[in-house]
Amino acid sequence: MAKIGVFICHCGENIAARIDCARLLSAMDDHPGVSVSLDYKYFCSDPGQENVKKAIRENNLTGIVVAACSPRMHEATFRKACAEAGLNPYLCEIANIREQCSWVHSDREKATEKAIDITRSLIEKVKRNNELQPIEVPVTRKALVIGGGIAGIQAALDIANAGQEVVLVEREPSLGGHMAQLSETFPTLDCSQCIMTPRMVEAAQHPKIELLTYSEIEQVDGFIGNFTVKIRKKARYVDMKTCTGCGDCIQKCPQKKISDEFDCNLGKRPAIYTPFAQAVPNIPVIDKENCTYFKNGKCRVCAKACPIDCINFEMQDEFVDIEVGAIVVATGFQIQNTAMYGEYGYGKYPDVITGLQFERLASASGPTAGKIMRPSDGKEPETVVFIQCAGSRDPSKGVKYCSKICCMYTSKHAMLYAHKVHGGKAHVFYMDIRAAGKGYDEFTRRAIEEDEASYLRGRVSKVWQENGKLMVRGVDTLLGKPVEIAADMVVLATAITPQPDAKEFAKVIGIGCDEYGFYNEAHLKLRPVETATAGIYLAGACQSPKDIPDSVAQASACASKVIGLFSRDRLEREPVIAMNNEATCSGCWGCFVACPYGAIEKKDILNRSGELIKRVAFVNPGLCQGCGTCVTFCRSNSIDLAGFTEKQIFAEVMGL
Amino acid sequence: MSIQEQYRKKAAELLSSGEVKLVIGYGAGTTPDRRRPLFVRSADETSKLHLDAACEANLSGYLVTEGLLADRKKVGIFLGPEGIRSVNILASESQLDPDQIVIMGFNREAESVSALEGSNVRDFPAMLAALKEQAPGAGEQALVERIENMTPEERFTFWQAEFEKCIKCYACRQVCPMCYCRRCIVDNNQPQWVQTSSHTLGNFEWNLVRAFHLSGRCVECGGCDRACPVNIPLRLINRRMAMEVLDAYDHFSGMSPDQETVLASFKKDDPETFIL
Ligand SMILES: Cc1cc2nc3c(=O)[nH]c(=O)nc-3n(C[C@H](O)[C@H](O)[C@H](O)COP(=O)(O)OP(=O)(O)OC[C@H]3O[C@@H](n4cnc5c(N)ncnc54)[C@H](O)[C@@H]3O)c2cc1C
Ligand code: SF4
Ligand code: SF4
Ligand code: SF4
Ligand code: SF4
Repeated sequence: MAKIGVFICHCGENIAARIDCARLLSAMDDHPGVSVSLDYKYFCSDPGQENVKKAIRENNLTGIVVAACSPRMHEATFRKACAEAGLNPYLCEIANIREQCSWVHSDREKATEKAIDITRSLIEKVKRNNELQPIEVPVTRKALVIGGGIAGIQAALDIANAGQEVVLVEREPSLGGHMAQLSETFPTLDCSQCIMTPRMVEAAQHPKIELLTYSEIEQVDGFIGNFTVKIRKKARYVDMKTCTGCGDCIQKCPQKKISDEFDCNLGKRPAIYTPFAQAVPNIPVIDKENCTYFKNGKCRVCAKACPIDCINFEMQDEFVDIEVGAIVVATGFQIQNTAMYGEYGYGKYPDVITGLQFERLASASGPTAGKIMRPSDGKEPETVVFIQCAGSRDPSKGVKYCSKICCMYTSKHAMLYAHKVHGGKAHVFYMDIRAAGKGYDEFTRRAIEEDEASYLRGRVSKVWQENGKLMVRGVDTLLGKPVEIAADMVVLATAITPQPDAKEFAKVIGIGCDEYGFYNEAHLKLRPVETATAGIYLAGACQSPKDIPDSVAQASACASKVIGLFSRDRLEREPVIAMNNEATCSGCWGCFVACPYGAIEKKDILNRSGELIKRVAFVNPGLCQGCGTCVTFCRSNSIDLAGFTEKQIFAEVMGL
Repeated sequence: MSIQEQYRKKAAELLSSGEVKLVIGYGAGTTPDRRRPLFVRSADETSKLHLDAACEANLSGYLVTEGLLADRKKVGIFLGPEGIRSVNILASESQLDPDQIVIMGFNREAESVSALEGSNVRDFPAMLAALKEQAPGAGEQALVERIENMTPEERFTFWQAEFEKCIKCYACRQVCPMCYCRRCIVDNNQPQWVQTSSHTLGNFEWNLVRAFHLSGRCVECGGCDRACPVNIPLRLINRRMAMEVLDAYDHFSGMSPDQETVLASFKKDDPETFIL
C-alpha cells in the first residue's frame, strides 16, 4: 500500500498569494494513498526539511510529493532530506506549483485548481516510482582547454598550477589570440605583448601542460569525467622536434607578398612564417595555399636554407585521441566585417580601417613599428575620426547587443593617437559612453580632458573622399547640428561577433549557442561558466564580448570548477538511464541511430546450443545520459527510462 | 516468352540448382482477377506460379516470417517496385540480409506486366530514382488536396467519420511488411497507450500511431488500404506522410538497403527551427 506524504510550500507569498494552500491541502488529504499532508511557509528552510523528515519517519512513508518551486531549485534539497530520513531519494517528486502555476496566473480560483491537478498527477507518479541507486563513474583527471587566447592560457595555467594535467589546443600556429595583436591595453596602457608573452611562455613550458598548436578538435564523445576527443594536428611541414626557430627559412622564402592576417592585412609575410616575433612555439609553418612548391612543384628554397633539415613537404595531418574529464571552451571572438555599411567606405577607401587594424598600427611590433601612418600613402594623419558602434546596437544592419569593449578601446585609440602624433586631432562619434569598470570612466575622461579628444554624440551618415581627404558627415545630437569633418583616417569600432565557425563548433562539442553563435551558459546569473552539458565550461569572449580582465576572471572561475571536479575519484550520476525489454525488441536499430551519445549496443541473444536467435538493443549504462530520445523512437515500446518510465508518465498524465 | 513463362522457368532453375530454398510468388486465386501468395519449394510446382496485372499484393512481408531466413539460405521472391522498396527498408532496419533475397522483379502498367532487370535489391537504383521523381497519380493527389483544402474542423469531421468505422481488426498492420514488430505498441497494456476498444478515441489513437510509425517507411504498396474491411482510405494518410518526409527531409523511403531511418537519424546541420 502506498503511503504518500504531500508537502505544500507557501514559498512566503510567492505561492500562497495566488494559490489557496488550505484548499490544496484538504484536496490532497482526500486523495487515495495520501497518508499525511502538511503545509508550511518555507519547506526548503531547515525547520521545513525537519518537518518532512519527521513525517517520513513517523508515517513510514513510501514516497513524497513536495508541491513547491521548480525541481531545478530544490529537488536536490528534498531528495537529500528523504535520504536522511531513510527513504530512497528517487521516491521524491516535486510538483512545480510556482513557476508553472502561481507565478504565471492571476485568477486565484483557477490557479488553485491547477495546483491541485499538478500535485495529484505527481502523487500518481510517485506511487509507481522505484528505488534507484546512483551510478558511479570514474573521473579522468585531465582537462582539455580549447583556444589559446588569454582566456584559454589563464584557465590552463590555473588548472596546471593546481597539479592537474591539461591539454591546451590552439588552431593557429601560435598561442596568443587577439591579445597578442593589441598595442597597449586599457585602462592601464601597459603593453599587451609585454604582459601576454610571459604567460604564453609559462604555459608552453609548464610540465603539466601539453601544448598542441596548429591543431583542431575533430570530435568529442562521452560525458563529464569521461570525454574522448579526437584532435587533428595539422601538418606544419616543419619538424617541431628539431627546429630551433632560427628563422633562416623565413628569410629565404621567395614568396614575400602574402597578406599578413596577424597584421590585419596591413603587412606582408612569406609562405613559411611565424605569425609574430614572440610566437609560442617559435616554430614556423608553411602556408600550403601560397607556397610555391605546393603550387607548382618547384622551389624548396626553405628546405635548402634550413641548417638542420627540419622541413618535410611530405608531412601529413596527424590524428590523436585523448581522454579528458573536463573541457574548457575559450575560442574567443572575431570582429564583424563592416561591409554592410557601404556608406562608411570600408574596403573602398584604404584609410578607413577597423579598430583592430589601428591596434596593429599602434603596436611597436606592427607593420609600421608603432608609427601611426595612413595605409594609403604612409603619411601621418593630422585628423582622425573614430566611429563607435559600427555594427553594435544596430538591429537593422549589425547586431542588437553592445560589444562592451569598443567605448574603452576607442578612448584608448584616441589617447594613443594623441601621444604618438603631436598636434593630431581625434574626433569620436559615439551613441553613449559605456565605461563601467574599475578605472574605466576615469580612463575615458582622461582621453577627453587630458588628451583632448573631441567627443560628438551622434551617428555618422556618410564617409566619402574629396581632395585627398575623407569627408565624414554626421550629426552632433547634443548641439542638434549636422557636422562635417575632413579627416585623414577613419577608424571603425566594429562589433565583436562569435568566431565564424562558432555554431558548427558548438555542435561538434555538444553545447548550445545563442542566435549569433555566442555559447550559452547554464544560467546567466548563477552558473555563468558552466554549459548545459556537464563537464564543459566557458571562458572568455566565446560566451559574450569581454575585455581582458573579465576573460581572465572567467577563465580562473572555470579552472576552479575543473579543479573541484577533479578533487573526486568518482562521480555520482543520476540513475536516470534507459533500459530495454529484450523480449519485445525487434532489433530495428532505430534507437541505435537515434542515440546522440552512442550508448546503444547490439547484443546477440543465443540459444542453449550457442546459435544466434536474434539481436537486440542493449543500453550501456555508463554512456546513457537519460535523454530519452530512444524511448520516443522505439515503435515497439521496448525501451523505457528509469525514473520516467512509461507507466509512471502514463499515471502522471491520467492523474490530471 | 511471356514474363510469366520466363519467371516460372527462372524459379524452376533457382530451385533445382539449390540456389534458393523457396520461391514466394503468386498463385491462382478464387477468381481469375485475384491472385494469392504461393510458396513454391520444388521445381515441379513452379507451373502453379502466376504473374499478371492481378498480382497486386506486396509479398515482401513474408520474408520476415519468424525463422524463415535463419538458416542463411536464399529465398526467391516476386516483387513489384514497392516490394523492392520494402526489402530495402527491411534491410536497413536489420530485419533481413538483402543478399539472401533473390528478386524476380516486375512492373505493372495498366493491363500488362513487364520484367525488371536485376536480382539483388541493389540492382535497381535507376528505377527507384525515377520513382522518386515521378509525380504521384493524379486521382490520388486530387483527393489529398481536397482534404488539404478543408478547414481543420472539416478535416477533423472527415477523419472522425472514417475512423469511427474502424473495428480494430489490425488487418492493416498484419498485411504491412513494415509492421514486423514482435510486440506492437497497441499490444502493450502496461501502460495502455492505445485504447483497444473500437470507440472514436481509441480508433484515432491507433490510426495516428500507425500513420506516425509508417511515415518515412511506408512504400505505398496499398496493402493496408486493400485489406481494410471497412474501406478507410488509409492510402491518403500514407500519401500525406510521404509528401511530408519528402518535403522536409528529401526522403523517399526504400531507396537502398543503407538508407538511414528518417525519423531516427539526425545530422549536425539539421535546421532546428522548432527548438525554442
Ligand atoms: C580592437 C580591440 C582592442 C581591444 N583592446 C583591449 C584593451 O585595451 N583591453 C582589454 O582588456 N581588452 C581589449 N580588447 C579585448 C580583448 O581582445 C579580449 O578581451 C580578449 O582577446 C579575449 O580573449 P579570449 O581568449 O577570450 O579570445 P581570443 O583572444 O579571441 O582567443 C581565442 C583563441 O582561440 C583560438 N580558437 C578559436 N577557435 C578555436 C578552435 N575551434 N580550436 C582551437 N582554437 C581555437 C583562436 O585562434 C584564438 O587564439 C580589445 C579587443 C579589440 C577587438
Ligand atoms: S536515453 Fe536512450 S537515446 Fe538517450 S542517451 Fe540513453 S540510450 Fe541514448
Ligand atoms: S528502437 Fe525499440 S525495437 Fe528498435 S532496436 Fe531499439 S529497442 Fe529494439
Ligand atoms: S502502410 Fe500500407 S501502403 Fe504503406 S507499406 Fe504498409 S501496407 Fe503498404
Ligand atoms: S484494417 Fe481498417 S478496420 Fe482494421 S484496424 Fe486497420 S484501419 Fe481499422
